[in-house]
Amino acid sequence: MLEITNLSKTFNPGTINEKVALSNVNLTLQDGDFVTVIGGNGAGKSTLLNMISGVYSADSGSIVVDGINVTNKPEHKRAKYFGRVFQDPMTGTAANMEIAENLALAARRGKRRTLRMGVTSKEKAHYKELLKTLGLGLEDRLTSKVGLLSGGQRQALTLLMATLQKPKLLLLDEHTAALDPKTSAKVLALSDKIIKDEHLTAMMVTHNMNDAINYGNRLIMMHEGRIILDISGEEKKKLTVEALLHKFEEISGSEFANDRALLS
Amino acid sequence: MKKSKKLIALLLAAVMLFALAACNNEETPGTGDEVGTTAGSATDTYTIGICQFVQHDALDAATKGFQDYLTEQLGDRVEFSYQNASGEKTNCTTIVSQFVASNVDLIMANATDALVAAAAATEDIPILGTSITDYATALQIDNWTGTTGMNISGTADLAPLDQQAAMIKELCPDAKEVGILYCSAESNSKYQADVVAEELQKLGLTSTVYTFVDTNDVQQVTQTAVDNSDVVYIPTDNTAASNTEAINNVAEAAGVPIIAGEEGICKGCGIATLSISYYDLGRKTGEMAYDILVNGADPATMPIEYSDGLTKKAVTERCEALNITVPEGYEAIVLEDETAAQ
Amino acid sequence: MVLEFLQSLPSPIAQGMIWGIMAIGVFITFRVLDLADLTVDGSIATGGAVLVVLTTSGWNIWLALFVAFLAGCAAGLVTGVLHTAFGIPAILAGILTQLSLYSINLRIMGGRANTPISHRKYDLIVSSNENLLPQTILTAAIFIVVIIAILYWFFGTEMGHSIRATGANEAMARANGINTSSRKIFGLVLSNGIVAVSGGLLAQFSANADINMGRGAIVIGLAAVIIGEVIFGKIFKNFALKLFACVIGGVIYYIVIAIVLKIGLNTNDLKLFSALVVAVFLGVPYWKNQLSGKRSSKKDKQPKEGKADA
Repeated sequence: MLEITNLSKTFNPGTINEKVALSNVNLTLQDGDFVTVIGGNGAGKSTLLNMISGVYSADSGSIVVDGINVTNKPEHKRAKYFGRVFQDPMTGTAANMEIAENLALAARRGKRRTLRMGVTSKEKAHYKELLKTLGLGLEDRLTSKVGLLSGGQRQALTLLMATLQKPKLLLLDEHTAALDPKTSAKVLALSDKIIKDEHLTAMMVTHNMNDAINYGNRLIMMHEGRIILDISGEEKKKLTVEALLHKFEEISGSEFANDRALLS
Repeated sequence: MKKSKKLIALLLAAVMLFALAACNNEETPGTGDEVGTTAGSATDTYTIGICQFVQHDALDAATKGFQDYLTEQLGDRVEFSYQNASGEKTNCTTIVSQFVASNVDLIMANATDALVAAAAATEDIPILGTSITDYATALQIDNWTGTTGMNISGTADLAPLDQQAAMIKELCPDAKEVGILYCSAESNSKYQADVVAEELQKLGLTSTVYTFVDTNDVQQVTQTAVDNSDVVYIPTDNTAASNTEAINNVAEAAGVPIIAGEEGICKGCGIATLSISYYDLGRKTGEMAYDILVNGADPATMPIEYSDGLTKKAVTERCEALNITVPEGYEAIVLEDETAAQ
Repeated sequence: MVLEFLQSLPSPIAQGMIWGIMAIGVFITFRVLDLADLTVDGSIATGGAVLVVLTTSGWNIWLALFVAFLAGCAAGLVTGVLHTAFGIPAILAGILTQLSLYSINLRIMGGRANTPISHRKYDLIVSSNENLLPQTILTAAIFIVVIIAILYWFFGTEMGHSIRATGANEAMARANGINTSSRKIFGLVLSNGIVAVSGGLLAQFSANADINMGRGAIVIGLAAVIIGEVIFGKIFKNFALKLFACVIGGVIYYIVIAIVLKIGLNTNDLKLFSALVVAVFLGVPYWKNQLSGKRSSKKDKQPKEGKADA
């Protein structure tokens, strides 16, 4: 499904701010994998997702999705393979466009944009049904501007947009980090439900070790631009936060540098 | 809260208007152009709308000459509504439309842009232009016969260009290459430059055109011009007129003489000019207005008039510095004597 | 005096309507795409120059206006390519195009800074002539209605949505497969095309095309957009009405200018006045947001510290 081979990225090469973000990352995802990604600050988790989706270009290595090499494709051309939800609730939606318009934009991801209607009434009816499943009351606000929604509502909407057209891979980049705990849990549960219902392949970056352990069938841990741990199946089910921290210290030889991950 | 924002905005706009009004009150009394007396005598009174394109010595003088003549003749039977467009073409249109709406008896359009706006606005109210270089071009008249055939006549500020070309030859007999320098944003200048180039060719001189876009590149373009020419000619050009100091610095250093199309530029950076008096031109326009208003003359058949008071003038100081002998018949322009201008 | 002033209103109204068309073009870049495009100072003169030169050389005036539109589109294309393909900031890209258009416009007009076109000689679409003013206002109104109708339809299509999304949130647009570079170029092309049409009409209205006719046009366009927003922002939510507000903004702007001229204010200060109007109308909403802190935080980008809530 997804094959990443020897992927490397260095920011600001040759300057005083040079930073190796990814170094020789290799990762293969099977169809239906739900991978949680954890790691300390600056471990390269978000960079990895951004490299897959094409925000950053690769220095070397390749990214192949379903047999298609996308390494050199610009971001907007890759978009048809990926559904994305971002950390900042502002990023995933267009604030001054209507809810229905946002959904319609997402529904056309990877398709030619023509001079046909931007949102048809048939679509609106469909969106209404979909929004009902969120249970947030958004089904009655189809023509509201997204800017009026709360952060949690926007993330839920973005999630819906990301999966409106079934993506080959769903990329969740700390998409609950900016939400309060209650909303965060809600959005997370919703993500899990959609992934299961639609049989999606997904990668979820998180700071929260409990979430990383409780969700998904596979867990990878990153450190200094490398994948240092890759656990799946029965082994993952048995994981605890303590065991995970212990493993991290063992492999990396340093302490897990993320206060929030420890606390949660 | 929402309403208060709008209120604040409106208040601010109002305050700005008043501020402008205040500024204006401080400034205008000096110009004395806004005469606003109403007549009470038995005979007809006339309202004349004056649209002047921009604040400029020459144009101001023309307006003054126009008003002076008519006030002398008609006293308080003439009322002027003077408005200045501040160099903004679109303002000319607005000003003239107000004249047309209040149905003035005559419109005096000072400078080409004002004339074009007036010509567009009305076919009925008589229009007199002044400080116009070329009526045929401004009004798109193909077969120019000296009259416009419409509700328009006036005076032209063109000092005969063939005589100006001859002056170049007269003062700089050894010159072969003439540089013609002007601002590409001024269409009058281009017209003059074209005619002068033609005249120079007849006299056996070659010429090259150097144009600057605005104040910023005057210096460099002038440098190129003086580097490649034996003598430089500058037509009646507003931008050049505002930058004579910069032009002079370059030309003086290079020792290249400049012949100018009008006196202001000549004083600033030239050695000689063929000068016309804009005040007299304005008075002449006033005579034409009197003819139309009082004697019922038809502007369509009134020929465009030119200045008859042509004077050859030379700046003695610069001529001496360049070892140029000024022939007989030149009036001397003395520098550093600003008040003697009028 | 008041009556006379009212009688003279049709001219500034017509002028304001024509500038309102220009303001619609500005709205597309400034509000929809969220780009400040300074190309317009040049493309409005390009539109005027092309129209006058073609019409005076015997072309059908409607065809000339269409070519003026295309010329404006080309100007927008240059800015768009400079901005997207060469990574030049939008403002600078616009300035570069605008600067080069000075030379190009001079060339179009055969080296002359000013090319007249008289209603006495040509069958003009619009004119400031007293007898043609009613017709001019009607024609301008038809132009406005048609342009707004087309834009309203267009920005409701899939293509139009993708342009709006690009302006609203580039990251989101790209994530949804929208080529934001091409959309920006398209928006700039469309905007400058409309601006050039306005320039073509303006040249007819003021009876000539002038190399300097676009100087400060962006400020007038922005003033029209902003005046329209301030006055109608709370009532006009619909996209078509927002465009219509731009036109009304343009009309108000020119009526204010007419008042300023009528009461004899010093016209030297007009540019300052325009700039102040724009600055104040742009600044007031910002201050308001700053002052009512809580409400504004919803609109502004959430600060990174927001995470700490988790």
